[in-house]
Amino acid sequence: MIRWGLVIAVVAACVGYLVYSASGAASEYYLTVSELRSQQPSTADVRVAGVVQNDIQRSDGGLHVRFTEKDGTASVPVDYTGALPDIFKPGITVVADGRLGADGVFHARAVLAKCPSRFSTTPYTQ
Amino acid sequence: MPVTFLYNALYAVILAYLGAGALLAGLVLAAFSALLSFWAGWTESGVMIQVGRRAFYATAAMIFIASVVLETALLTHDFSIAYVTEHSDLSTPIALVAAAFYGGQEGSLLYWVLILAILGSASLLASSALGPRLAAYAAGVMAVIVTFFLFVLVLVASPFDVLQITPPDGLGLNPVLRDGGMLIHPPVVLAGFASFAVPFSFAAAALLAGRTDAAWIAHTRRFALVAWGLQSTGLVLGMWWAYHVLGWGGYWGWDPVENVALMPWLATTAYLHSSQVQERRGRLRGWNFGLVILAFLLVVFGTFIVRSGIVPSVHTFAVSAIGPWFLGFLGACLVFSFGLLSFRSSALKSNVEPAPAVSREGAFALQNLLLIGVIAVVFWGTVLPLVSGLAGQERVVGAVYYERAAGPLFAVILLLLAAGPLVPWRHAGRPLWRSLRWPAAAFTVLLVALVAAGVRSLPALLAIPSAFAVASTVLYEYARAIGRWRLAGGGWSRALALVARRRRRYGAYLAHLGLAIVVIGLAASHFWQQEKDVTLQPGQQVSVAGYTLTYAGVQTRELTDHSELVAAMRFGDQTLEPARATYDGLGGQSLTHVAISSTPVADVYVVLAGTNGDGSASFRVFVNPLVSWIWAGGAIIILGVVLGNAGARRAAFVPVASRVTSPVGAS
Repeated sequence: MIRWGLVIAVVAACVGYLVYSASGAASEYYLTVSELRSQQPSTADVRVAGVVQNDIQRSDGGLHVRFTEKDGTASVPVDYTGALPDIFKPGITVVADGRLGADGVFHARAVLAKCPSRFSTTPYTQ
Repeated sequence: MPVTFLYNALYAVILAYLGAGALLAGLVLAAFSALLSFWAGWTESGVMIQVGRRAFYATAAMIFIASVVLETALLTHDFSIAYVTEHSDLSTPIALVAAAFYGGQEGSLLYWVLILAILGSASLLASSALGPRLAAYAAGVMAVIVTFFLFVLVLVASPFDVLQITPPDGLGLNPVLRDGGMLIHPPVVLAGFASFAVPFSFAAAALLAGRTDAAWIAHTRRFALVAWGLQSTGLVLGMWWAYHVLGWGGYWGWDPVENVALMPWLATTAYLHSSQVQERRGRLRGWNFGLVILAFLLVVFGTFIVRSGIVPSVHTFAVSAIGPWFLGFLGACLVFSFGLLSFRSSALKSNVEPAPAVSREGAFALQNLLLIGVIAVVFWGTVLPLVSGLAGQERVVGAVYYERAAGPLFAVILLLLAAGPLVPWRHAGRPLWRSLRWPAAAFTVLLVALVAAGVRSLPALLAIPSAFAVASTVLYEYARAIGRWRLAGGGWSRALALVARRRRRYGAYLAHLGLAIVVIGLAASHFWQQEKDVTLQPGQQVSVAGYTLTYAGVQTRELTDHSELVAAMRFGDQTLEPARATYDGLGGQSLTHVAISSTPVADVYVVLAGTNGDGSASFRVFVNPLVSWIWAGGAIIILGVVLGNAGARRAAFVPVASRVTSPVGAS
């Protein structure tokens, strides 16, 4: 026979510990561009959402890209090497995952586009 | 000409009004059915039960008519209806136009309630064995859920809104969605979501009627399995689609939209196991109610999260007016469920001695706790942006969080999956190590082989040997069955009879085997994926993980609605053609066409990033080991669900508890 209350407590404690340790180590701040601008360059990864501006410079066959991400009035240059999402183009909202360097450039290790979901098409306006 | 014009105008108006009218009639009928069914259950009036139930069938008929009208409007390109204009156009292939039915917010809600009405009607038709009260309450609960959806469809998000001026063409579907996957993945996932309401309704009805015995479980088990099977299929199809279309080399991103589909699946997985404990041992009564209710609450929560745009997601959803309504519905469901559970709490106590730890029921209980743990991990990761946003700075977690927090729990679940089926009910009779020698041997052999091959990653050293141990348990059980069949004299008819009698068990083992294969595929492609970014001149080669590709050149193809830049990569005697399509009509949006060469050992996955002025082209090349095992394992899981339950009879099940004196069923 075994006390199931004890088992439940042990499992709950393990889950709690796993969640606590993993979310401490693996969570990132989700910032707007202006919030990022108000921070010091740091070594912790953050995610920044903003709109891609009309100044995309591609090199290396499209694998390396530099663009400006803007959100309201604040903007930040983003530098990224890797394959971009299909819908990447000026005017779309992207989430860049990386860190702001001392050079004032946001070095992204991933750029995610907001996927055009099946639930959202532009409403038809007259 | 004027006659045709008049006819067209009338036709459009008639379609829109017919659809909206059917929805309104359905709403009235559903509300009527809910009121009448509850009243009938309370008074146990046989006539009113019948009327309430028929009102539910009539609601289903109205929803069906509205669905046919919407589909007709889409297929006849009736752009006077806003929904048709916003989700289709003249150039979209006709199959995808038909798929626009569930492709937008309003239509997907209609599709959802259509599935619920059909499954609900089927479950009511089959509910005669449950007694009038329980069936009446179940009809009432389902009718309330349908009423809510129809209320939203009529007043908040109607698919039949008419535009002031009829445009000549629609806006069409995003190119990313112009894919065969659109035809199968969304309808299966949405149907899965909708189907969780059926077991919930019967659980709630059993609580309302004070029937805490296993009758509702026996009745809803098949519907819980339908929900589970649909959701499993939806998840695998979603992964398959993401892998083949999106071009990032992976299939699962721990996005909120994926998480909310996973959580009800996990809760139902737990329920499918724990319900056996109640059926056979009379235990875990309250727990089973809790799991079914949890699965449904997670579905409503997920719908709210997904449709309200309240957490940051890679998928953006139209932030629409239905968010607050779903929040209200979620609140109402929470209050109702917890109220009901606490109201019946005294009847839910299992008045039998607690389960011994080393027994089948002990294994199920532990597996359940761990699955709830995984749900807690996923739930926390999903709502963290919300919670932290309220407390100050918004934070998000990525894949690393889920791997670290849920990974260890999954590892223990896998070990249980290997051992559990070999542990007998009630208590372990013969020494456990004898029963467990086969999975233990498989685990050890794989562990030694992997270490010898130089693998040092602890997660990989746990996951893959565990999966082989699970598979060996299943094969051992099948071997025992074959042995029994031989002993009985063999022959086809006896084999069929044996499988038929125990199909529930053998189906479940097949699902276990499929899961083991999925886990091997997930682990191998996760731990040993290799990728390389290269820029090549024609004739140059690239090697990734021993696979060599030669870039031959690039050409442009002009098609009707888009142009394609197609690169040719020679790979052995095959030519892979990764491409980028550009749709001029949609503001120059481009779309990757991934080229995949798939074998059981590994997929070579090539994405064309772009071309340069000097004739060179840039690629991202992935080598993904054993990815095809995921799809194969997924298919085996579904096969297990189907085979194990085709025409299953409840009588095939003999409660162990009935052989000993224990007060099963006493409430």
